[in-house]
Amino acid sequence: MKSVERAPGAPHARDQAQPVTPPVTSVKPVRPARPARSGRGNRDWLHGLLMSAPALVGLIAFVGVPFGYAVVLSFYNVRLGSPLAPSFFGLEQYRRLLTDPDLSGPFLRALLNNLTFAVVVVPLQTGLALGLAILLNRKLKAIGFFRSLFFMPVVFPMALVAVIWRLILARGDQGMLNSALHAVSFGNWGAFDWLGDGATAMASIIVLSVWQGVGFQMVILLAGLQQIPTELYEAARLDRATAWQQFRHVTLPGIRGTLVFVVMLTSVLSFRVFDQVYVLIRGGGLDEDATRTVMYQAVTTAFDQNNIGQASAITVVFFLIVVAMTIVQRRVVRPDNED
Amino acid sequence: MSAISRRYRRTFSTGLALALPLVALAACGGGGGTDASAEAGSGTGTIKVWAHQGAASEAAALQSAVKSFNSSQDKIKVELTLIPDNDYTKTITATEAAKLPDVLEFDGPTMANFVYNKKLAPIDSYVSATTMSNATDAIKAQGEIGGKHYGLGMFDSGLGMWGNKKLLDAAGVKYPTGLSDDWTAAEFTAALKVLKAKDADGKALDLQETGGYANEWGTYGFAPIVWSAGGSLIKDGKAEGALDAPAVVSALKTFQSWKPYVDPNTDGNAFAKGRVALSWVGHWMYPAYSKALGDDLVALPLPDFGNGPKTGQGSWAWGIGADTKNAKAAGAFLDTLLDDTNVTAMTTANGAVPATKTALAKSELYKQGGPLQLFADQLAKPCGDTDITKSCVAVTRPVTAGYPVVTAKFSEALNSIYGGADPKSALEKAARAIDQDFSDNAGYQLQ
Repeated sequence: MKSVERAPGAPHARDQAQPVTPPVTSVKPVRPARPARSGRGNRDWLHGLLMSAPALVGLIAFVGVPFGYAVVLSFYNVRLGSPLAPSFFGLEQYRRLLTDPDLSGPFLRALLNNLTFAVVVVPLQTGLALGLAILLNRKLKAIGFFRSLFFMPVVFPMALVAVIWRLILARGDQGMLNSALHAVSFGNWGAFDWLGDGATAMASIIVLSVWQGVGFQMVILLAGLQQIPTELYEAARLDRATAWQQFRHVTLPGIRGTLVFVVMLTSVLSFRVFDQVYVLIRGGGLDEDATRTVMYQAVTTAFDQNNIGQASAITVVFFLIVVAMTIVQRRVVRPDNED
Repeated sequence: MSAISRRYRRTFSTGLALALPLVALAACGGGGGTDASAEAGSGTGTIKVWAHQGAASEAAALQSAVKSFNSSQDKIKVELTLIPDNDYTKTITATEAAKLPDVLEFDGPTMANFVYNKKLAPIDSYVSATTMSNATDAIKAQGEIGGKHYGLGMFDSGLGMWGNKKLLDAAGVKYPTGLSDDWTAAEFTAALKVLKAKDADGKALDLQETGGYANEWGTYGFAPIVWSAGGSLIKDGKAEGALDAPAVVSALKTFQSWKPYVDPNTDGNAFAKGRVALSWVGHWMYPAYSKALGDDLVALPLPDFGNGPKTGQGSWAWGIGADTKNAKAAGAFLDTLLDDTNVTAMTTANGAVPATKTALAKSELYKQGGPLQLFADQLAKPCGDTDITKSCVAVTRPVTAGYPVVTAKFSEALNSIYGGADPKSALEKAARAIDQDFSDNAGYQLQ
């Protein structure tokens, strides 16, 4: 029991049950008005619970319970629409997932693809969003028009974006990118299969995903930039700070919290990549092996092959990995609460 | 946080932990269990019918068939429900047998799975003998499991190689006139080389690659290569040795080698616009192609990889729900649905091959001497799904409840082979995965 400086959520039951005589060993700090505080603390706790109830109920009903199911199902051999009763499988699904060459190959490849995607997309998209936000953080005529222009792709559903990019990256010489390169290189550029070639498939997905998502992070960072008081910049200019120094010592510290939030958000979103991969493998000749993600693997296993047990095991393993990564990330970049 | 609430919480979470697995298992295990208990019933009253929406013209043909059936007699009343194509199979999969209608449509290769899940009843004793004997052999093969028939179709389907006569003649390429003088895979590859040399963009072939091959089109369109090479997707419940046989591996190597000649066909008009001379696709492109090419359009068989030319077959079919209480009325409705008037109306609407002998003989497109005679000839030599000999042509996709996995694994392998993967290892991997799944499911034995 550490001594408590600031009133925590609830006074400890043990403290309340203790007799008034203080223990001899510890020097008890004087705590005035303890009962009143505890009353308020109790009320605070109740209010807090009430306010978080809708979110908590939703979280438990739509995330907690299904995940509980997934853990249970991953120990069984369960099929969609099979007359056979589910049989207990023990750790067989996990064994196959991690050691069976046919199954673990694609799964580990999917994990690697997910990681590659995250490692490239998080810095790239955050940096790009910051650049765009700074670009659009000025007084211009019709700046609102430019801002909405950059924000536009976010409004499109990912499936639609994937279909548009399929036309851009089409492998024939009529593909927009190929014909543009053909024109630029004076006809020295042949047709290249951007989506079907293992070397460029993932890069294509990354490019279109960043294009689609960057506007969202840009808007958040723009809001952060506009909170930095202009006096700071004026003071910096009086001190003859160069533009770089202003950015380094005024802008960055000013949006540190926002930046951390954006990085977190982007990492979480980048683990969920699914739509564009699914759409383009099913309808764009995308190289499946080079771009298969864990979500894609889970969905196709569950709903194309009716193998619910295997798909559950995939999601459980993936959940553990993502949780571990999120914890590490929180340790490394701790958002400072300056206020 | 009193002790009471903590105890409650512990009880609650323990209860939850105990209840979850039970609920989960109950939810998943509830698929089967009941025996197919179709009852003949009185042959009068109302019957419910589910069908897939299809194209507007197909839906209209079906609705008018139902309307005329209802007005022609007053004993049976049919209530038709149309369900969108994309959700159709999922809807039936998710509906328990007791809630299924008296008559339902299903896509051919999904039938075995519905029989396995006890959702379909045999129709032999409910449709009339004339209806059964008038059905083409190919469509009967699709609907048969263990000597009983579970489905009959109004129409069938087939694959062919559409050719642009003008382009082929200009390049001086020899092409077959029918099934008897079919080109071998080597001759076909040589023809592609010649066409490429004469072609402006060096692309001579359309393989309908726009949607990729990791889907049912991959299996339907290119399993004929496997069959024509003497292999099969699955043989006696095992894929190993059938799907990854050396002949199949080398046939798919040949398929892989065609990629440089293939137009990606992003706009879907490669053949209609004359960019390529050959298009590997089914009968359903005939309306668009004949409009674009007129008399220059020829229908050719697919190349022969050694075991004779092969094509896929099979399409939407009709069956009777396992729990119907009015099977006699359901059979009477099917008899009407499969008569010449309705089959002709439907196949006129969608351009498919009629699946009854009398309607086929009358069909303007598919009769002997008609422009699509090849497709009728192919379907006149059905193989069924197991006995794939050199002389038969139309092969039914494996009639097994494990078909979803067979098609998923094969099409995945095909897609990666087309993308440049090694055919041998891709096919071996697919075969192992299929066999693993079959052993997990006790071989999908019908109980």
